[in-house]
Amino acid sequence: MKRPSTLTAYAFLYLVFLYLPVLFLPLFSFNSGTIVAFPIKGWTLDWYRKLGEQDTLIQALWNSLGVGTVVAILSTAMGLFAARAFVRYRFRGQRAAEGLVMLPLVIPGIIVASSMLVLFLFLGLKPSLLTVVLGHTFLALPFSVSILKSAFDDFDASLEEASYDLGVGVFETFRRVTLPVVSPGIIASMLVTFTVSFDEFVLAFFLSGNQPTLPVYIWSQIRFPAKLPNVLALGSILLLTSVLLLVLAEYFRRRSSASEVR
Amino acid sequence: MTDRNIIELRGVEKRYGTFLAASGIDLDLKEGEFFSLLGPSGCGKTTVLRMIAGFQEPTAGTVLIDGQDMEGVPANNRPTNMVFQSYAIFPHLNVGNNVAYGLRGKAPKGEIDQRVAEALDMVELGGLQDRGASELSGGQRQRVALARALIMRPKVLLLDEPLSALDKKLREQMQFEMRNLQQSLGITFVMVTHDQYEAMTMSDRIGVMFNGRLKQVDTPTTLYARPCDQQVASFIGEMNILPAQLLGEIGNMLSIDAAAFGRIEIERNPNVATSSKDMNIGIRPEQLEIAAEKPEDYPSTVQGTVSNAAFYGENIHYHIRVAGAEKPISVSVPNYFHTVDFKRGDAVWLGLQGASVIDLGTDTK
Repeated sequence: MKRPSTLTAYAFLYLVFLYLPVLFLPLFSFNSGTIVAFPIKGWTLDWYRKLGEQDTLIQALWNSLGVGTVVAILSTAMGLFAARAFVRYRFRGQRAAEGLVMLPLVIPGIIVASSMLVLFLFLGLKPSLLTVVLGHTFLALPFSVSILKSAFDDFDASLEEASYDLGVGVFETFRRVTLPVVSPGIIASMLVTFTVSFDEFVLAFFLSGNQPTLPVYIWSQIRFPAKLPNVLALGSILLLTSVLLLVLAEYFRRRSSASEVR
Repeated sequence: MTDRNIIELRGVEKRYGTFLAASGIDLDLKEGEFFSLLGPSGCGKTTVLRMIAGFQEPTAGTVLIDGQDMEGVPANNRPTNMVFQSYAIFPHLNVGNNVAYGLRGKAPKGEIDQRVAEALDMVELGGLQDRGASELSGGQRQRVALARALIMRPKVLLLDEPLSALDKKLREQMQFEMRNLQQSLGITFVMVTHDQYEAMTMSDRIGVMFNGRLKQVDTPTTLYARPCDQQVASFIGEMNILPAQLLGEIGNMLSIDAAAFGRIEIERNPNVATSSKDMNIGIRPEQLEIAAEKPEDYPSTVQGTVSNAAFYGENIHYHIRVAGAEKPISVSVPNYFHTVDFKRGDAVWLGLQGASVIDLGTDTK
């Protein structure tokens, strides 16, 4: 059979095309020359060392970490209630509601960003980290809802009923049964939504005003060729962190699915 | 068992849109009784159980527990506890914390620990407090679910298909254990099951449900001997149903002309009515005599051919083709000393006594 081998070659080329540019990023971050091109002049860790000396960069990093954390908490909390309602109950307009929650995944970011900017200005909210948080929560909600929906799908509804049956009220049941059982899903959702916010550029660019998040800061630095290797070093760190967070999130998401199967 | 009613259902109905999951349910359950709701899946038995537990509100009628109207009383305030079909063991808690769950914050810690130990001893899981929920076998999960419900000292214990997840051997063992437990505690057990043998071996009384209606409520022996219609007759055990002509009646006795078996005197079944000459009778497979020679001492005998034979170990099942009967007659013979052994195609005689025939009448009374 010839076909499988051509398919394998195609798949291989596809992956190379997809990931090779990404691998250049860390490669050039160790290049001692300032020009991003082959041949590589020499190896250095200077670009990484210099990162710590830049105050505006550190400030942007803190901005991103803060926004990411708040977004993770907000969207996961909202996603938790939405996901439980979607899985547990059947109600009028359910499909429409589920579709609307997922909509941010398919609307072009630039449209969302510009319309949000108009909306916030109309409401008298100046672009700041607060507006970035609001925008990112909107963007991250579909991720937390879909992760938590799969956590609730695997959650036997009779566990909550057993708790009511044993004389425990609705709120205490939520605290003593629902939260602990879906906690791997909650952790996975927080990690993913944090990453979504941390890496997001378009909304942050429109809504951050004079408080740039890290991606916005990086974009502003790209204009200065001398700073480029520095940006590459920073980008490499972000890449590694994002991958680690997503792997961790996937681990927790799978654990939440596995816990009920036994 | 006492004569006091612990649960009373009065005209209970549950409607989902146009679908009637349960309707016209009137039922009195005695204190200390083991009661089973038996029926095929989708007959509404679980709906009735969940209305007693408080997970569903009836759309009409009243549920009284210990004389109290339960309308608007949520599940967490009812004096009932439930063993769920999935057992619903909390996966994040160990055995001890699962069993203690309902007592937390409601009793001092020392008392809780003592009651947990007692409850676990009762279900023969003594000392397993620290075992994780995921390390339990199916049978152990069931025992934990029982202990967790019984520790609350409920007035009524509700069991939703409690044995369906267990394998056959364990299921039979648990039937006896649960019956013993119920009798020593004196608590009312209400069990939902689709398994007629389970219902018959464990229950004081059984309520048979079809299509959302409670067809008959009786002891296992009465249900078996005096079913109220063909549906109940064929659901509880196996039953040969044959058409018959009513010839006459004297007091409690009916004289009939049954298909294949001819003239025979049978006892009237008080649970059915006969409104025309055309009626039905039922014969249990184990009530028929099968022999190679024409059996004596039987008022009715008929000759037939073996169309099928199945060996079950403790007994043998035959299908016998008989002139005058549409379907083959099922016969079940105990495997006494391995003496009975007919093959397909053998000519045999069937013998029938009037006392073995069940009057199925024409209507349910």
